[in-house]
Amino acid sequence: MRILNKMFAGVVAAGIGITATAAFADDIRVGITMRMVSENGQAYGQMMMDEIKGINESGGINGNMIKATLMNDECKSDKGVANANKMVFQEKVHLLIGSSCSSVTLPIVDVTAKAGVPQLVPHSTNSKITQKGSEWIFRVPVSGRYYGGVNAKYVGENIGTKIAYICAADAASVGDCANMEKQMKARFGVEPAYRADVQEKEVDFRSHMQKIKSMDVDGILVAALAETMARALVQSYEAGIGEDVRRIGSSSASNAPVPKIAGDAAKGVFFTAAYAAADQRPIAKLFNEMVKTRYGIHAPDHDFSQAYDLVRIMEIALKNTNFTGSLADDRTAIRDAIANVQGYEGLASGPISFCAAATPQCRDGNRTAVLIGYTKGGENFETEVLARVTMEPDFGLE
Amino acid sequence: MGILSFMADFIDSLAKRHRLLPWLLAYALLLPLPFVLTILFNEYLIDLANRICLFILLAVGLNIVKGFCGQVTVGHIGLYAIGAVTSAVLSLEPGGFGGALGFGWPIWAAIPTAVLVTAFAGLIIGLPSVRLEGAYLALATLGLGESVRIFIAVTPALGSSTGLMMIPAPRIGSFVFDSFTSYYYLVMTAAITGIYFSFSILRSATGRAFQAIREDTIAASVNGINVVKYKLLAFVLSAIYAGLAGALFAHMPPGYLHHNNFTVIEMVTLLLMVVLGGIGNVWGGVIGAIVVAIAYDQTKDLVFYFMDRPIVFQPLVFGLSMVLLVLFMPRGIGGWIEDFQRNRRFVRRSEERLSGTARNP
Amino acid sequence: MGFDYNSLLAFIIFGVTIGVVYGIVALGISLIYSGLDIVHFAHGEMYMFGAFFGLVLAHNVGVPYPIALIGAMVLTALLGMAVERVFYRRLTRAGGGYTVAGMGMIICGFGMSVALVNVAYFIWGAEAEPFRANLDYIPRLSFPGDIEVPESYVLTAIISVALMAALHYFLRHTKTGLAVRAVAHNKDIAYLMGINVPLMISLIFGLACGLGAAAGVLIGPMQSVQVEMGYLMLMKAFAAAVVGGFGSLPGAIIGGIMVGVFENLGAAYISASHKDIYAFLLLILVLMFKPSGLLGVDAKVKA
Repeated sequence: MRILNKMFAGVVAAGIGITATAAFADDIRVGITMRMVSENGQAYGQMMMDEIKGINESGGINGNMIKATLMNDECKSDKGVANANKMVFQEKVHLLIGSSCSSVTLPIVDVTAKAGVPQLVPHSTNSKITQKGSEWIFRVPVSGRYYGGVNAKYVGENIGTKIAYICAADAASVGDCANMEKQMKARFGVEPAYRADVQEKEVDFRSHMQKIKSMDVDGILVAALAETMARALVQSYEAGIGEDVRRIGSSSASNAPVPKIAGDAAKGVFFTAAYAAADQRPIAKLFNEMVKTRYGIHAPDHDFSQAYDLVRIMEIALKNTNFTGSLADDRTAIRDAIANVQGYEGLASGPISFCAAATPQCRDGNRTAVLIGYTKGGENFETEVLARVTMEPDFGLE
Repeated sequence: MGILSFMADFIDSLAKRHRLLPWLLAYALLLPLPFVLTILFNEYLIDLANRICLFILLAVGLNIVKGFCGQVTVGHIGLYAIGAVTSAVLSLEPGGFGGALGFGWPIWAAIPTAVLVTAFAGLIIGLPSVRLEGAYLALATLGLGESVRIFIAVTPALGSSTGLMMIPAPRIGSFVFDSFTSYYYLVMTAAITGIYFSFSILRSATGRAFQAIREDTIAASVNGINVVKYKLLAFVLSAIYAGLAGALFAHMPPGYLHHNNFTVIEMVTLLLMVVLGGIGNVWGGVIGAIVVAIAYDQTKDLVFYFMDRPIVFQPLVFGLSMVLLVLFMPRGIGGWIEDFQRNRRFVRRSEERLSGTARNP
Repeated sequence: MGFDYNSLLAFIIFGVTIGVVYGIVALGISLIYSGLDIVHFAHGEMYMFGAFFGLVLAHNVGVPYPIALIGAMVLTALLGMAVERVFYRRLTRAGGGYTVAGMGMIICGFGMSVALVNVAYFIWGAEAEPFRANLDYIPRLSFPGDIEVPESYVLTAIISVALMAALHYFLRHTKTGLAVRAVAHNKDIAYLMGINVPLMISLIFGLACGLGAAAGVLIGPMQSVQVEMGYLMLMKAFAAAVVGGFGSLPGAIIGGIMVGVFENLGAAYISASHKDIYAFLLLILVLMFKPSGLLGVDAKVKA
């Protein structure tokens, strides 16, 4: 009992101790909030920290060191907002990076807009993030509105228009499903042959597969988070739906658990993403090798590439910033420097460019999606690049 | 102990002049807190204080049904969610940016309506308590609470997975409660009022009826207490607290709600606050809320490396604390407070007796 | 689309196959409740640990699937006994286990559940793991109307029935089983009759946790294994146990099947996105209108 009391007292004391520390004046402070509960989340969080360490070791930003703080928001909006507030008002960061989940990024946009802190988004794809009209937001990944268009075009032209939809209830999948449906309708004038809205962590898809089986569809779109999608893929084969019906994934099909859990069922699945591990460019090969040796990841998904690209874009922007020492001025200067990043060619599927206007056209940096197909499932999965499509900046906006 | 006794004596002497005086003093002392925190530390702690105030409301409310009345409810977080979502949906503009339902009500109408709706929901969550007790009641309330969350999660009109966004901040005329400091006065006032009414309930006939039901339901009914009515009343009262906390949470900048803020993990955190504070003790619950919220905030990002993997260990510490508290400190912090109060009463009575000032020697 | 009896049959079969798994977990919860008068809120984590033990045995140690199943049951039973002995015994010793204003065990179970999830996360990480089992020797069932039931579900049904039968035999036809029933009936009198009550309590807990583990290993090949899998299963199993009558062992299996069928039909004909709510709905309806459940003969509404 006494130990417990002491423990709590200790925690409170430690808390006050931590909050009292002020950051050093000459550092460039960067706050990162991401979903750190998954293994991949931890790995790419670690990768960002390592890359920032690398920048510091090679001389920093014009002599200034970057001091990065990494926080876990567990993909929960209240935790994410608390993290953002903590970093903006306690750590007094110059730049905020976050978050993985759209449902966390959406409220943080308002926090950074009000406080005047530039925010770089590493993973969230929900198209509303940049439509809020904040001057301070920059999205590195491909917006969901582009994904839907690329998917629909490819599916309609190469597979057929009779598509069954299985849509899980998480923010990314709901968006992917809605965008796909909208584009299929706009381009080919078709409604879904079957549509099932399932729970975020649904485990049993057999009744849907049974219904789809009797429908003779051309393809099945499974929009869900990685593990849920893998289960749906496995169960579609268990239900006896043949290989001639193509399985289409949402953007999270890029994540490693899909081929790992789905095994052979992942073969033939194709999806749109912002990075293909099968990319043949030298920079991509080097990156794959680096991630493999450093973090033991078989093939990095687009979450890794986006985290990496984000650090590089941050580096470019910070190097072009004139630091004055006044926090508010520096934040504004960094924002303007990010807005001036044009045609950054990194790992991403296409060049990333930003501009000054607070519009989705300016702030959704990457407009190129790459279509990827799995050629082999399991732990040592393999992918191939099917196509690479760049969309117009206005695409998918109302 | 000396300082504590002195403070307790001082509060007693204030309360003798007028029973509201100690509360006004506490309120006055808490007024400059945001400025103190900003000067000594930073503005983030005001945000933390705001969240603590919401937790205090929740914990004090849970204490009414759990501590005073002895009903095992695990669905409190569902009520919190109902309060938050109702107030948000009522105050959002129709056809707004987020694509959710909106009625465009003024906020000062939306919050009371949300509290009323939550009170009604509390009545429904309390209905099983008429027939069920203990574990059965826990299961029923858990099911109800979780159903609320899942329902929000799959209903696009209530935000579903994208969440309710851009919920407006409260305003009076042109003054908007959108900064940490201004919102602090809102939630702090609510928390202090909540604690005050919690004591009023405890000391009233209603509170004594609750306690009678807690100690022995049959004996209570034999003594003419309408058990059904008081059980439901306890649920409704606690729902009012949860609804108010929820509504205030919804309108707190940046005004965003997502169903995963209302999961069973949040419920466990809330339980930990009440257990640490000591079930049934109001001040214990308040202290529990403060300690757990601060501990949570400060330990959230602590990791240790296990097989080269960063490991978050905070849930283990919180979970085990709960188990150990129940086993070794079942009365929680409230137990100490009660011991202190009893000792002081005893010491004072003996002193009075020794000095001959006791009225009834 | 008209009404299609074939798909109705398919949904019912799917519901039954998942329902028996709910039933096995519910069996464990019911066993603990009838034996110790406590509701074990950390039972979902026993199920999760069982699945992981099975996974480690089958993949890392490389034993065949049936042996992995038994091994996981034994290991989880030991874990359950250890948890009970170290943490719960203080509460269970008091009989009903309600010390803190009648809710000690519930809070204790919640805390233990959170702690155990975190421990599993230390060991196995948060990512889902595929559980591959070679089940080729099990026949695939085909029903008229193009309904196929995969091997893993057939196996699940067989093993659940076997476990039920074994448990029934143990409780009704062995001396130890008689002692367990005596402890469940009245601990004080059992004690006076010379039964080693603490040992029997450990045994009950071990058995219940072993059953949970069996469900975990059975469901592994169907749904993959993840540290957070326990909570939802716990909810479904609670619903199953309540529907069948808390404390009634055959009721647990029947309740499980009912919950499985009910939620599958609800998902198929009302709305798939509300699937989890149906189980809760059933739970609440039964609690409100027939708290003793369908087979709960001696309803202990007052815990």
